[in-house]
Amino acid sequence: MALKIQKSFNEEEQLWVLVLEGEVDLHTAGILKKAVNEMLEEKKGSIRIMGDQLEYIDSTGLSVFIGTLKQLQKENLNILVRNLKPSIKKLLNITGLDKILVVEN
Amino acid sequence: MNHEINREMIELSIPHRSEYVSMIRLTVTAIASSMGFDIEDIEDIKVALSEACSNAIMHGGCSAEENFVVQFIREQKRLTISVSDFGKGYSVQTLQDPKLEELNEGGLGIFIIRSLMDDVKIKTGSSQGTSITMIKNLREEA
Repeated sequence: MALKIQKSFNEEEQLWVLVLEGEVDLHTAGILKKAVNEMLEEKKGSIRIMGDQLEYIDSTGLSVFIGTLKQLQKENLNILVRNLKPSIKKLLNITGLDKILVVEN
Repeated sequence: MNHEINREMIELSIPHRSEYVSMIRLTVTAIASSMGFDIEDIEDIKVALSEACSNAIMHGGCSAEENFVVQFIREQKRLTISVSDFGKGYSVQTLQDPKLEELNEGGLGIFIIRSLMDDVKIKTGSSQGTSITMIKNLREEA
């Protein structure tokens, strides 16, 4: 399964909303990285990742989040994640990323 | 596949190319599911195996024309998976647990494998390739 990415800027909350659909792995992590870099070049802002349709992610995808966080934290911005599958929440938990990202609900 | 199995081996030889990692996940999902692993355990195995394959593809130092080998050994109560490449190897001593507070992306894969599987062994050394062997035990039914 491939990865589909939808990105839009929410003017009201002043943040990017990134809808990830499919799988982020070694093959698709580059697409995610490119999308995130383009977003932040266009406009600096926090990023909310919608995980409703994110079926799978591993360290290759988490590394993109970590790299992006490094950029965002310099400007007091963050990554927020919402509606993640239990298996993905577990992965954030064992890596400790859930303490660095903002996990919503 | 309900017949009694003592020990059976399945082996895949796979090109060092990232598009194959999702195919390996589908394969291991089928194997683990047929053995009776639950959804949570299957997710753990999928992630751990993907991490090992990503490692082989990224750090094995092999060209895309070469293959690495994934071996599954199914036994009554456990699944053993080995991922072996024939690349240049690397030093396990340089593999440290990631320090996320320092936002360090390196070493995350091996750390995740060790967290998700019941037993993990890594054999590596200069010019002898790397082999990661991991075991997931079937949980006793309550």
